[in-house]
Amino acid sequence: MTKTAIHVDHIARVEGHGNVHVVIGDGCVKTVEMSVVEPARLFESMVRSRPFHEVPYIASRICGICSASHVVTDLKAIERVFGVQVSERTRMLRELLVYGSYLQNHATHLFVFAAPDFLGHKSVFPLAETDPALFDQALGLKALGNELCTKVGGRSVHPITAVVGGFTHEIGAGEYVELAEKMDAAREFAAAAVDLFHSFPVPAIEMQGDLLAMVGEGAYPVAASDAARFLDAGVEFDADGVQEAVEEYAVGHSAALFARVRATGATYFTGALARANASWQQLGQPAKVAAAKAGLRPPERNPFMNNVAQAVELVDALARCAQLCRLLADPNGVGGTSEPVGFEVRAGRAVGFTEAPRGALFHDLELDAQGRVTHASILTPTAQNVANLEADMRTLAEALLAAGAGEDDIRLEVEKLVRAYDPCLSCSVH
Amino acid sequence: MEGRCIACEERPAPPRVVVVGLASCFGCQLQVTNAEAHLVDVLGQIDLRYWQLASSDPMPEDFDVAVIEGAVTTEESENLVRALREKASTVVAIGACATTAGIPGMAAAGFLSRPVEVYGEGGVPAACGEMVSPRPVSAVVDVDCEVRCCPIDTMDFVDALQGVLHGSNKAPRSSTMCGDCKRNETECFFAQGRLCLGLVTQAGCGARCVNLGRPCNGCRGLSPDANLESARQACGRYGVPVEGFDRALEMFNQTNPALEDGRASR
Repeated sequence: MTKTAIHVDHIARVEGHGNVHVVIGDGCVKTVEMSVVEPARLFESMVRSRPFHEVPYIASRICGICSASHVVTDLKAIERVFGVQVSERTRMLRELLVYGSYLQNHATHLFVFAAPDFLGHKSVFPLAETDPALFDQALGLKALGNELCTKVGGRSVHPITAVVGGFTHEIGAGEYVELAEKMDAAREFAAAAVDLFHSFPVPAIEMQGDLLAMVGEGAYPVAASDAARFLDAGVEFDADGVQEAVEEYAVGHSAALFARVRATGATYFTGALARANASWQQLGQPAKVAAAKAGLRPPERNPFMNNVAQAVELVDALARCAQLCRLLADPNGVGGTSEPVGFEVRAGRAVGFTEAPRGALFHDLELDAQGRVTHASILTPTAQNVANLEADMRTLAEALLAAGAGEDDIRLEVEKLVRAYDPCLSCSVH
Repeated sequence: MEGRCIACEERPAPPRVVVVGLASCFGCQLQVTNAEAHLVDVLGQIDLRYWQLASSDPMPEDFDVAVIEGAVTTEESENLVRALREKASTVVAIGACATTAGIPGMAAAGFLSRPVEVYGEGGVPAACGEMVSPRPVSAVVDVDCEVRCCPIDTMDFVDALQGVLHGSNKAPRSSTMCGDCKRNETECFFAQGRLCLGLVTQAGCGARCVNLGRPCNGCRGLSPDANLESARQACGRYGVPVEGFDRALEMFNQTNPALEDGRASR
C-alpha cells in the first residue's frame, strides 16, 4: 500500500494556531483533519460571576481583529436581558463599528493572508517591491478600517466607547464628513480588488453542508437583525433559539468545539459567502455591479469564492459607511443622541447576535438580579466552520487526486482552502 | 580627501527577529501590522525571520530578538519561551497578556475547576496541550523590554524596537495614571462615585480610556508606586464599593502578588 501523509504544522497567515493533516493511501483520501492547537482560553468560565458591564470588555479579548463584533454582540445580549431600547443613532454607530472591523479583517485577510498564495510569495512584504501601488492601496484600505474603528470606538483594536445603552464619546460632524470622503475615495480600489481575486484561478469544487447567515428585511444586515437562516434547509430562527438550532461537540484533535445543525447533524458554513448568498439582492448598487462582474451570484457554492465575496463586501461596506457617516454628520442630529440611555438591571437570559467579519457570532448570556453572569456560551464563526472546512478539504483533496496532482500541489491548495475560509483559530478556542 | 562615508561601510547586519504568539487574541500582533504607512520602514530595520501571522517562512535555528505576545498557559508554551530566551539576546514582551498575564490571567483563580466549565465532563481535548495556570512571560524567563497595554499602542512598539536596535536610556514610567488626568484636565470618576483603576495603574497611555469617557480598567498593570490600601480608603471616602475595586483589579492583575498580599491582609 502506498501512503502519503501531508502535514502542515502551524499553518501560516491565519489568525491562531492550527495543523493540517491529510493522509492518502492507495489513491484514496483516508484522513482529513484540521487540528486547532490553541491553548484553552476559558472565556466562558472567566466571565462567570463578573458584572455585566465587564463582559463586553473581557469578551472582546477573544479576538483582536473582530473585537468590535464581540463587544456589539455582548451589548445586544445584555440589552435584550434588561429590555434596553437604544437610539437609532447608537444603532448606526454600532453598524459603523462592525463595518470598521470588516474593512480591517477583509483587507488583512485578502492581501496579507490570502493574496501571497496566488502571487507566489511567502508573505505580503515582497509586494512592496513587486507592486508598490497595490501594496500601498491594500494597506491603505486596512488603515481606513483602523481609522473608522478608532474614530467611532476610540482605538483600532478593542473599542472603548461602546457601552450598554450607547456610546461614551462621539467625534464631531467634520470628522464624519472626512471619513465619508475617504470611504468614497477607497471604493475604486475595493472594486479593483474584486476583479483581482476573481482573476486568480481556483479549483472548481462545491461546498459541503448548509450555509448560515443573518437575514433582515430590505437590508444586508450585520448587526441590525436577530434572525438567522439556514439557507439550504430554509429554516429561520431567532438568536435566542441558537442552542436549539446548533449543537456544539468536542473532538480530540481540536481545542475548538465543532458545531453542526442540531436537527440534521449537517455541517455548515458561515461567513461572507453565506451572507452574499442570503442577501445578494440587498447589496448596494456598486457592490452588486462588482459582484455580477466577478460572477458572484447566488447560488454560489465554491468555498474559494469566499475571497471574492469578502472583496464585494469591502465595496458594500465602504458605500454603506460613507452613507452612515454623512447621516451622522447632519447638523440636525439624525437618530437622536448616542448618550447611554438609562436602564434597570434585572435577571434573565438572552442571546446577542451579529455577523462578525468571519460569520455569525452568538453570545448567550444568563444574568442574575445583580447583573452578574451566571452562565455564558459563546459560538464563534470559526468554531462553526471547522467541521465544514474538514469536509471541503476532503472534497478538494479527492478532486486534486483524481486530476493526478502531486503531494506539493495538494498541500498548497489545501492551505489555500483553509485561508479562503478565513479562520480565526484563536477565536474558535475562546 | 577621498569622500568615504563611514556609515555606508561595514554596517552591522540587522538583528534577526522572530515574533511569537502564545495565548492571546493576536491583537497586539495586529497592532504591529497597524503601523501601515510606516510598516516597511519599521520592518526594514530588522531581519524578520519568523512571523507565523504574516509569513510561511519556518522558525529559524538562530535569531537575536524574540518578540513574544500572549500569556503562558501550557507546558509547551513554557518550554517555547525558555528556548526563545536561550537563543535570543533580547526578549521583548508585548501586551497585557505577556506582561501581566492580562485577561487570560483571570483564569488563574480557581484554575483547576475551569476547564470542565467549558469542555464539560468529557475533559479537555488533547489539542489544548498540557495546561498550566496562566502567567506572564516574565514569570518564566527574564524579559528585557516590555510594551504594555491591551492592546499595545503601535507607536509604543516602534519606540521599544528603536530602543532594542539603537539603545535607549528611557526608563519605564512607574507613576500611577492620576497625574495624567490632572494634566489632561479630565474630570475624575471618583467625584461621580464611579470606580476608576487609574488610581493604581501604571501611567503611560495618556489616560486613553478616561479621555473618551470610560474609566480605566487597569490594562497597563499595577504601578510599582500603587498604594492599594490607600486606594481602598479612597473608595470608601467617595462611596465606591471596595469589593468592586478589588474585583475589578482581577481583570489585569490576577497573578500580581500585590493583590494576593492585599487579599491575605484583609
